[in-house]
Amino acid sequence: MNEAKVLYKTWSVCPVCLKRVPAERVQVGSGVFLWKSCPEHGSFTTLIWRGLTDINEWTGNSEVPAAEDPKCPDQCGLCGDHLQETCCVLLNVTNRCNLNCRFCFADNEATTIDPSFEEIVQSLNNLIEKGKTLVQMSGGEPTMRDDLPEIIAAAKEAGARYVQLNSNGVRLSEDRDYVKKLAEAGLSFLFMQFDGTHDEIYRSLRGKPLLDIKKRAIDNCAEFNIGVTLVPTLVRGINTDQIGEILRFAIAGSPKIRGVHFQPVTYIGRVPENPTEKDRFTLDDLLAEIQAQSDGLIKSENLLPSSCDHPLCGFHGDFIIGQHEVIPLLKRSKPVKNCCCTPTPADKNREFVARRWQRPAADQTNENACCGDVHDMEYFLDRVKSHGFTISAMAFQDAGNIDFSRLRRCSLHVYDKGKMVPFCAYYLSAWKQ
Amino acid sequence: MPETRKMICCKCNKELEMIKTDFSYLGHSFFTEVPKCPECGQVFIPEELARGRISEVEMQMEDK
Repeated sequence: MNEAKVLYKTWSVCPVCLKRVPAERVQVGSGVFLWKSCPEHGSFTTLIWRGLTDINEWTGNSEVPAAEDPKCPDQCGLCGDHLQETCCVLLNVTNRCNLNCRFCFADNEATTIDPSFEEIVQSLNNLIEKGKTLVQMSGGEPTMRDDLPEIIAAAKEAGARYVQLNSNGVRLSEDRDYVKKLAEAGLSFLFMQFDGTHDEIYRSLRGKPLLDIKKRAIDNCAEFNIGVTLVPTLVRGINTDQIGEILRFAIAGSPKIRGVHFQPVTYIGRVPENPTEKDRFTLDDLLAEIQAQSDGLIKSENLLPSSCDHPLCGFHGDFIIGQHEVIPLLKRSKPVKNCCCTPTPADKNREFVARRWQRPAADQTNENACCGDVHDMEYFLDRVKSHGFTISAMAFQDAGNIDFSRLRRCSLHVYDKGKMVPFCAYYLSAWKQ
Repeated sequence: MPETRKMICCKCNKELEMIKTDFSYLGHSFFTEVPKCPECGQVFIPEELARGRISEVEMQMEDK
């Protein structure tokens, strides 16, 4: 029988009542679990790391004590205990949606009334730091709003450096003029839900076949030079075997497709049922599957733990899509470097992602250069701008695996009623009884 | 380097020539033409190259 070894003491919540409880990251065999117990609802164990990659090498020496503030994360808005600045701000512009997905972190009440344009402009003026902020238009499905182009223009007017749209792509596939208006308004790039390369997946996760719709949305965005990053929600038994196919599809779509941002499913908001142990798809599962399913095209050593957020929250890799190869620009070192080593890691993180997700203006690169040697400095500089490509992941937290030491380092914040709230605190929801 | 100015290697007293030269950074190698002594191989990196393309390559290669 494997001995349990406590790796780290932290805080979490009871998944039933959401009350704050002490928790431990415990290694049993190769797996690492979050153990916690609630005086009222009993003990809970959640797998957080499979052990396919050494967790200590992955997290390095990055740990800081979990927040001691007894209010954390109730009444959450960034407080003195929070360790990271804002990299990206998410703003909900509508609760309406044109899909009814099996999983939805937002799970909004579609009956509520959208904020008015004036209310949104007020929020934008409050949340934007001129020349710095990356604001994500989110929802609901933001393209349900006819005035989204005006909202994007208002964000740029207020000084947003980048405006990102999080969308399922449905309207973008149907309404070319709308896409044109979004581009003209200053949309920087699109994050588009993309769960696989065949329709059975969409039927299962989103309720209808959507693959052709996704392809048309990508083409419409390409016409107006809007870079598209694909965002798969990975659910065991549905599309975790699609990782390689998604990568090949995305690489073949470069430069109009700028990367893939994987999100292992999180059990918040609308979920069909509470997760069991076998449902968990951990970050190290994903690292291993990327290498295996891409037939070694992408190696896990070229994917680095998040240095802006907590290393257990995500990873990123930076690549150039060459004419016949995928060239990695980053390589994991041992021990892993976990500090951005700059006074403002959130700023650096924002510039890192945006320089790849955004397509350069047509006159700034030579996208059609048919041949060249990527070791030629001139060609490299052209190619990295035109065909730069990121593979990244974010493991959001739910009531089962939330860990306050991770929460404290979150740089993705939701703006609501004058407060910036870490994403996983904002959307945290109790499990069904 | 302005084309009208000749540069002479201080060690070999030879005129520098524009020669394809390899650079390496963070495990990646690149080449470009820079003024180089044909005898000893010493190179001169013009400021506009250092502040321009080389700096841009470094920026593109940097992690977060």
